[in-house]
Amino acid sequence: MSDDDFLRVTDVSKWYGDEKVLEDVSFEMDRGDVTVLIGPSGSGKSTMLRCVNRLAEAQEGSILLDGEEVLSPDLDVDELRREVGMVFQGFNLFAHLTAVGNVALGPRRVLGLSETAARERAEEQLERVGLADQLDSYPAELSGGQQQRVGIARALAMEPKLMLFDEPTSALDPELIGEVLEVMHGLVEEGMTMLVVTHEMSFAREVADEIVFLDDGRVVERGPPEQLFDRPEEERTGRFLERIASHD
Amino acid sequence: MSDPGTLALAAAASVATDLPAGDGLAALAAAGGSADWWVVGEPADWGFVRRNADYLGVGALLTIGLTFASILLGFVVGFPAGAVEVYGDGLLKRAVSTVGIVLRGTPIVVILIVMYFVVGVPQINLGVASISSAMTAGILGLGLRSAAYQSQIFRASLSSVDEGQLEAGRSIGLSRFEAVRYVVVPQALRRSIPGFQNEFTIVLKDTSIVFAIGLAELLTRGYDLFSEQTTAVLEVILFISAIYFVLTFTTNRALDYLGDRYAIPEGESA
Repeated sequence: MSDDDFLRVTDVSKWYGDEKVLEDVSFEMDRGDVTVLIGPSGSGKSTMLRCVNRLAEAQEGSILLDGEEVLSPDLDVDELRREVGMVFQGFNLFAHLTAVGNVALGPRRVLGLSETAARERAEEQLERVGLADQLDSYPAELSGGQQQRVGIARALAMEPKLMLFDEPTSALDPELIGEVLEVMHGLVEEGMTMLVVTHEMSFAREVADEIVFLDDGRVVERGPPEQLFDRPEEERTGRFLERIASHD
Repeated sequence: MSDPGTLALAAAASVATDLPAGDGLAALAAAGGSADWWVVGEPADWGFVRRNADYLGVGALLTIGLTFASILLGFVVGFPAGAVEVYGDGLLKRAVSTVGIVLRGTPIVVILIVMYFVVGVPQINLGVASISSAMTAGILGLGLRSAAYQSQIFRASLSSVDEGQLEAGRSIGLSRFEAVRYVVVPQALRRSIPGFQNEFTIVLKDTSIVFAIGLAELLTRGYDLFSEQTTAVLEVILFISAIYFVLTFTTNRALDYLGDRYAIPEGESA
């Protein structure tokens, strides 16, 4: 653990009522790293992700982002979220806005860009995710894969320094997963720092610098993908990977 | 079937068959004399309606004015009230919700009488014209009660917008207020239109209750007329019903148009 970690999560714990959903979770990332959180459903990986942009509140521990304490009660959460993009499992696109409208809302209302500048930026980002031909489509008129790409463009338009992906392909039909992963691959190549919750193990193996395996709210094991996938040290990790593999 | 029932059928048929379409009041009145061979009881007396058209017209204007002012007041007060019930907390939320329950649970006649005789709202002078204190009390009473109902329409539609919408808004750095304002409200307003259409129709017809504080709007004037001339009861009632129908029909169609114009596309995926 070094002092200049870009993101350092230390002993984060969270309860929902009496139920402890995260217990002393720790991991860290450098700028440009891709870290993938894996684990069975209910293991707390999405909750961990959401603690990083304070959509969920951790009760204990520390999350340092670029040297700043995310969990501090004095932190301006809106400012934090300006710098941390999030992509949701269910897309959560603004249903009443077109693709451009979805992507332009943040630049317009949060960054204060003019209508024209915000639209321009939205168009650029939609081009970046390969949707230059769907600028004026409404979410309901797009396929799931296209919707998720708009979701990614919406987050990118804020020029975040960290991107959070919460099971970005879990709600997609199998044939639509590829186009979303392709966009994510592109971001990895551009050097984006990404924290990803996913069940796409081949994607994780290809792009992750580190895999963190969570079970029951605890970090069971973490390490580079080759190690964690091929020579897991913990029995639970092995069993989980076998279960996943048998469904592939 | 009883006599009044037959009469009603006959009179309705007269409107439907004997009149040149679209010729309005004059035609209604003119039809009276000629085609009464089938009427059970007295011949239809549309002339009486025509002679009192101005009197009824003033009542119709009063009805329209009361309706629009009350609906507007109801919206201006009811929309924030609904938002407080969804997003507020603590004392404010409890206060708003309690006032709403009281207003919805009180007969409108009581509300109007309280406004007029107990609260004693003053006459409002607008320079060019002044609004009588009865009119002010009527607008306040109907408007606040409508606010109580409209708050529930908006509460329901705000709650119906998926939680993920607000969350996504927050995730790009919008404040809670901004996320509600730019993401939830535009969707909720569209979903409010059907409930709002109902509310509009109800307020329009409930304006008649201002007779309790001495205002003579359309229905009260109609009542006055047929009490005076008991041979033209149905003619008067049919005539004012037609006015109510035109008002509800046109405003509902206008709101339908608004709903279609701003509908959120829900298509098959492309």
